[in-house]
Amino acid sequence: MLQQMKETLLALREYALERNLQAQLSLHREDSHLTRLANGSVSLNTMESVTSLSVTAYGDRRTATATLVCGLKDLDMMRQAVDRAAAMLPHASRLSFQPTLPSIPADSTCETGYDAALAQLGSAGILDYISDAAAGLEDEDLTLGGSFSVGGTAWCTLSTATPHSVSWRLSDAQITLVLASAKNKWEINAEQSAQSLDDLDPKAMRRHLAFLKEQYLTREAVRLPLGPVRVVFGAAATAEYLSYLSYLGLDGSAMKQGNSIHREEDIGQRTLSHKITVTEGPDCPGAFALPTDDFGRSRGTAAWYDKGVLRGFIWDQGAADEYAQTPTGHNLAHHSFALQPGDMAVNDLQALAAAPRDTDILYVPYLHYTGVVSPSEGLITGTSRFGALLLKKDGAIQVPYNVRFTEKLEDIFGGKLLWLSSESTVYNTSSTYGSRNPSALRVPRLMCCDQINVEISNKSY
Amino acid sequence: MTHPWKEELNKLLLQGASYADVRYTPREDSAALVMRNGNLLAFSAGSERGFGVRVLYQGAWGFAASSDLGSITATFARALDNAKSTARRLSRPIRLADKQVHTGRFTSPCLVDPAQVPYDEQVAFLRRVDTALQQTGVEQRMIFLRTQSRLTEYYDTQGAQIVKEIREIFPYLGIQGRDGDGETQSRRYSPPRLGPTRGWEIMQADFFEEQAARMVRELNETLAAPKCPSDVRSVILMPDIMYLQVHETIGHPLELDRILGYELSYAGGSFVRLSDFGALRYGTDKLTVRADATMENSPGSFGYDDDGVEAQNNLLIKDGILVGAITSRQMVTEANDKMGREYFKGSGGTARASSFRRTPLERMTNISVDPGTDGTLEDIIAKTEKGIVLSGDKSWSIGSNREQFHFANHYGYLVEDGQKKGVVRSCAYSGETLPFYNSLAMVGDERTWQVEFVPNCGKGMPSQTMQLGHGVPVCRFDNVKVGE
Repeated sequence: MLQQMKETLLALREYALERNLQAQLSLHREDSHLTRLANGSVSLNTMESVTSLSVTAYGDRRTATATLVCGLKDLDMMRQAVDRAAAMLPHASRLSFQPTLPSIPADSTCETGYDAALAQLGSAGILDYISDAAAGLEDEDLTLGGSFSVGGTAWCTLSTATPHSVSWRLSDAQITLVLASAKNKWEINAEQSAQSLDDLDPKAMRRHLAFLKEQYLTREAVRLPLGPVRVVFGAAATAEYLSYLSYLGLDGSAMKQGNSIHREEDIGQRTLSHKITVTEGPDCPGAFALPTDDFGRSRGTAAWYDKGVLRGFIWDQGAADEYAQTPTGHNLAHHSFALQPGDMAVNDLQALAAAPRDTDILYVPYLHYTGVVSPSEGLITGTSRFGALLLKKDGAIQVPYNVRFTEKLEDIFGGKLLWLSSESTVYNTSSTYGSRNPSALRVPRLMCCDQINVEISNKSY
Repeated sequence: MTHPWKEELNKLLLQGASYADVRYTPREDSAALVMRNGNLLAFSAGSERGFGVRVLYQGAWGFAASSDLGSITATFARALDNAKSTARRLSRPIRLADKQVHTGRFTSPCLVDPAQVPYDEQVAFLRRVDTALQQTGVEQRMIFLRTQSRLTEYYDTQGAQIVKEIREIFPYLGIQGRDGDGETQSRRYSPPRLGPTRGWEIMQADFFEEQAARMVRELNETLAAPKCPSDVRSVILMPDIMYLQVHETIGHPLELDRILGYELSYAGGSFVRLSDFGALRYGTDKLTVRADATMENSPGSFGYDDDGVEAQNNLLIKDGILVGAITSRQMVTEANDKMGREYFKGSGGTARASSFRRTPLERMTNISVDPGTDGTLEDIIAKTEKGIVLSGDKSWSIGSNREQFHFANHYGYLVEDGQKKGVVRSCAYSGETLPFYNSLAMVGDERTWQVEFVPNCGKGMPSQTMQLGHGVPVCRFDNVKVGE
């Protein structure tokens, strides 16, 4: 696949050079399979095979881009896309900076993250997994929902500057299973991310769902009082906050535009708790990490927050050009951030529930539909969802209705942070909008914060 | 080029399928221009083509799509295989509600196709508006222009043949500045419906310059303003936030697939139960809401949906009582079965797919609040003792069953004893859906009513972004929690 994509791009490169065009040429290929479940049934079983070409023409302080979705063998249509970008370029208005054309110094191909057995799992394999994960959990009221997205993504890019290319191929699966009570309108879920077939563990999904099901069927439902509470966030919720932090805290372009919690003078300052170390780079197992960026730069793993100290901002080439900065090797389809684990040897919900405690703890595995209320304040609002529990200080467990928090990132990862689990896990953050692009974050399994303010407490799950 | 769609569909019937349809997009052209602080950072044009096949086999759906027209037969076979695989885990076979079979064509109203406008003219437009935004207090300027032209052919095994050609144009302006505390404040503008058509003819530079001047004035007022108080008061929602309130807390919870649990793993469910139809008091008797896909010139009007059902105008809430939902052929049969009666008389014609590579889902059309009888904004302010007028969709966050919400706004000013008072910054309000609509105290008349466009409603897995509209008046809700 990658070889065919590279040959196609090399042919287009020749075509562009014959027209004296400077351009970056990229091909994206996805073979996606998504099985969706609702009310105990498969509600949809889809496959999409899509090839996308992108041609960005570079001129004197200007760029223009033509994209095309077509077949991989539609070379004539692809040449027309090159022509189109060339025709658009003179009409682009001049920029205040010169954009940098990629000049890839050597071929880079990475297929270590591709497992054909996962990418081509097929409907039977998917349904076997689902059957194992849900075995014995459903009844007349409790039915299974969710989705199993699996597939392969291939990427190849080069430019007219050199004949070398950067290419990669990844397999991935993103699985969410939901057990829903139609009568009581609650939902519990379990999620899994996979890069290879060996990562699939339906029994772990079943164990998690079974534990939560037991709590939700037998424990008293409660509406929490408004005000501060100690919260232990699960991996999904922590990943949500980390995802915001990676942009609102570390993106150089966002900082320059006033959409960051930091300013340049914060570099070298302790801005978060000393417990917070955030890395990004290829040494991030399970997070679909890429060794080389689209400019052919080899990437290393760096700490961007180092024990709470901001070490710098992330600059892709475009932002670096615009703001006269040094690029950091981040022209990528996706980043691979990791929040390093802490020292609390409590690494799953069952252990948390069993651990002694001197105050009530609200366990929030997942935040639903978060929004940025104020980017420069890092103020994020969202609602608890999917299997929250109230762990009473006397050892009892209750099932809370959903609550809303509106908290600042600098508090979540700063003064309000109490502890992080000693083990981390991968949380899949892939979006199925647009083209397939597997992505994930590595986060501690649990994160405990104090004084989280319940500002709305609802009467339903 | 003629493609053998009907032959391929017939083959599926011979292989045991009970129904199948294909959507073929021979051409979709799009363009995006992004100018930030005078720099044209994105200047892109895109084309795509492809087809998607949906097959119903023994009550189970299968779907396959490809951008490769050399793989038509294989893709049809894959869709059938997917349906056959699905049948292995199927607790309730899918039935489709009856429909009238149509042969038809729909073209969205457009005088000047944006794709035919010279690039220089498009870029010059952005430059002119950017100049208007470049004023004291403004630290960041953003102009975004997205256009789209899609031709879709639809065929199904019942004999339907529908061609749709839909052109969209979505301009957007945004500015930011820093307030006295160093925090970022912003103001944005996306035009509502501006007339009977929506091609390049709506891009009147004088009009956008006027909007730019207003935005700059309101941003500077906000930058100099004190913080919004945190208290409980009446909120008077302008159409540019009322549309989002309706979208999130009436539109989404009334999608029948959400009500039936089809979105639980991702977007969420709905607090509405099937037993609520015809009985639930959703709001005060001032609240009447409809799903009107026949409205003139809106992205939520499309002629025929992607089930091949003709567009309709249906009531959702009548005088405060829940009476209808946003429905498709599949969901109404399931809902009726579960209700034990034929409450839904047929598909509401709202199944739409965002692309050839996605399957149709219940999507909002034009979910609109009927205008009321409480006059103009000024009339409403004059009758408000303690309130705040809110404008702009700065942020939004909604509970998974749409039972509660939090919205932040770009611009707001207080109202005391029927008088406009000072502007305040960092405005936000929150509440619970049913108590909120049951506190609807005043609904502006037709002079306050306008159709807001939504270019980016997200739903489904694989995810889909859809375009639609909301006709909304100025509305006042009492006893609402405001403040950050």
